[in-house]
Amino acid sequence: MTAVETPVATPPAPQPAGRAGFRLETVSEWTKLRSIRSTWICLAIIVVLSIGLSALVCFAQAKHWTVACGDRLTFDPVSASQIGALLSQFVVGVLGALVITSEYATGLIRTTFATVPRRTTVLGAKALVVSVVILVVSEITIFISFLVGQSVLTAMGGKVYPSAAAFEAKVAPFVGRHLSSCPTIPMSRLPIPVANFSTPGALRALILGGIYLTILTLVAVGFGVILRHTAGTISLFVGVLLILPLLIQLLPSNWSGPIAKYLPNGLGQAMTSPNGLNYDGNPLMSPWTALVILVIYVVVVLGVGATLLNRRDA
Amino acid sequence: MIKATNLSKSYGNNRAVDNLDFEVRDGVVTGFLGPNGSGKSTTMRLIMGLDHPTSGSVTLDGRRFHDLKWPLREVGALLEAKAVHPGRSARMHLLALAQTNAISKHRVDEVLELVGLTAVAHRRAGKFSLGMSQRLGIASALLGDPKTLLFDEPINGLDPEGILWVRNLLRSLADEGRTIFVSSHLMSEMAQTATDLVVIGRGHLIADTTVEQFIASNTEATVRVRAPEADKLSGILQAAGARIHPEPDGGLLVTNLDAPQIGDLAWANGVALHELSPQMASLEEVFMELTSDAVEYHGSTTAGAAQ
Repeated sequence: MTAVETPVATPPAPQPAGRAGFRLETVSEWTKLRSIRSTWICLAIIVVLSIGLSALVCFAQAKHWTVACGDRLTFDPVSASQIGALLSQFVVGVLGALVITSEYATGLIRTTFATVPRRTTVLGAKALVVSVVILVVSEITIFISFLVGQSVLTAMGGKVYPSAAAFEAKVAPFVGRHLSSCPTIPMSRLPIPVANFSTPGALRALILGGIYLTILTLVAVGFGVILRHTAGTISLFVGVLLILPLLIQLLPSNWSGPIAKYLPNGLGQAMTSPNGLNYDGNPLMSPWTALVILVIYVVVVLGVGATLLNRRDA
Repeated sequence: MIKATNLSKSYGNNRAVDNLDFEVRDGVVTGFLGPNGSGKSTTMRLIMGLDHPTSGSVTLDGRRFHDLKWPLREVGALLEAKAVHPGRSARMHLLALAQTNAISKHRVDEVLELVGLTAVAHRRAGKFSLGMSQRLGIASALLGDPKTLLFDEPINGLDPEGILWVRNLLRSLADEGRTIFVSSHLMSEMAQTATDLVVIGRGHLIADTTVEQFIASNTEATVRVRAPEADKLSGILQAAGARIHPEPDGGLLVTNLDAPQIGDLAWANGVALHELSPQMASLEEVFMELTSDAVEYHGSTTAGAAQ
């Protein structure tokens, strides 16, 4: 990097038609996202951890199946293969936050606004790029997790039941409440249920799982614009997703129940349950209602973020 | 041309920029001088539309920054050298900026070559020295081949070779007819690079002039005289209204009379002169004097522009 001879820049060239707008900014944001290592690390964590954890949980559930009376009726092979998504929630939060806060940490945001002065355009392009990436990666991960998880269950002796009713009829004599003791039932007599794409609600739950993670990413983007600091943004995100539900549980149960189902993770549970039941077998909100409420949340968060972005000094 | 009109910016109760009026003309390097904290960077952010002015306005060739269709092709700015994601390579950083304004990859490689970073273009920018970061910042400003260029303290962290390079670069850009606005707190550097000067202190405009005029109008002309009969000459000059400051080595620093007048008086009185040299005050000295005054004025009045 020695100094070069005095450079002679070319005289200003005529300008092309159009303007530095949304389309070009989207291309630029994709370059930014793919050119840093942390993006690929986050995505690798989502893929590897989700698939690995789901396979592990399916294996453990199948092992447990022969001895567990009480858990048999509520076992859901779709959810069992999607446990990894619980961890992915936090990884997409980090990725969504960094898209914004890493630029504030270095001052790069000012260079960005000096190339594209319309800040809402910048925010929109960032949100679009990161959410498309997360949507694609998380849907692929979710479907692979599903296929791996069901393969593990099948390999352990599980089988696909023709219907939920058929499974219930078969399992009813063996669940805890009908028995004085809990004998070990060999897998061959009562195979663990396995899901496939025609299992009712399975496909919907898988697709909404990716959409849920995508919306969470956008919530983190919005928090990032509002707070502008990486640590604060991730703390707020984890607080809303993890700490808030715990605090709500400290309330009397006739309060905590109705509140909890409107928290993001409660809505996520409603979106990703194939049978409309929670882990305890209690009914959940309709997945579509949950989706609409979550979309309202993210629109509000991003709207507040965009307003502050335009009003504040960069 | 950059034109600031009644430009003010307050952060809470702190008035960082107060009622600035100045013009930066095309085709010359304009130095933007002021001590640290005087509002230079704030003014530059206001020009780039990054901060919203409390009142007043600033335009680039008559247009507000926000209204530019291709900002990077019209205005290039180096505001902070370290404003780069530490994990991104220099080339990808520039490519992302270029894409926003439909600038080709070819131009990215061209500016990397121009600033001498081609060899490290694929290295993570976080590993760059301050000097290399400055070069990367200059590359990003030049990316769109813009007519107007702003540089905030561009020579910070550069070695002497780099400083010379920046100086030549700024001059050659100005020679092409561009508007070049360079901030610095190093007055001596501006004396060698800039033609015009905008000087501020505590957010107030102190001067909007040329380097030459600035020095001429803010310093007393001093002449160094050396004569074998120094005492006799002192008496003659004092009688003619001069003020004399003797130097330890026997020389005399004369103010209030210029060199021809002193020469004529010596000749008329038959005194031999061994030296007769007009002294230029350095920009540094002028600046120190002026900005310290601005600070004092600021304490007593609100309108502290000292000119």
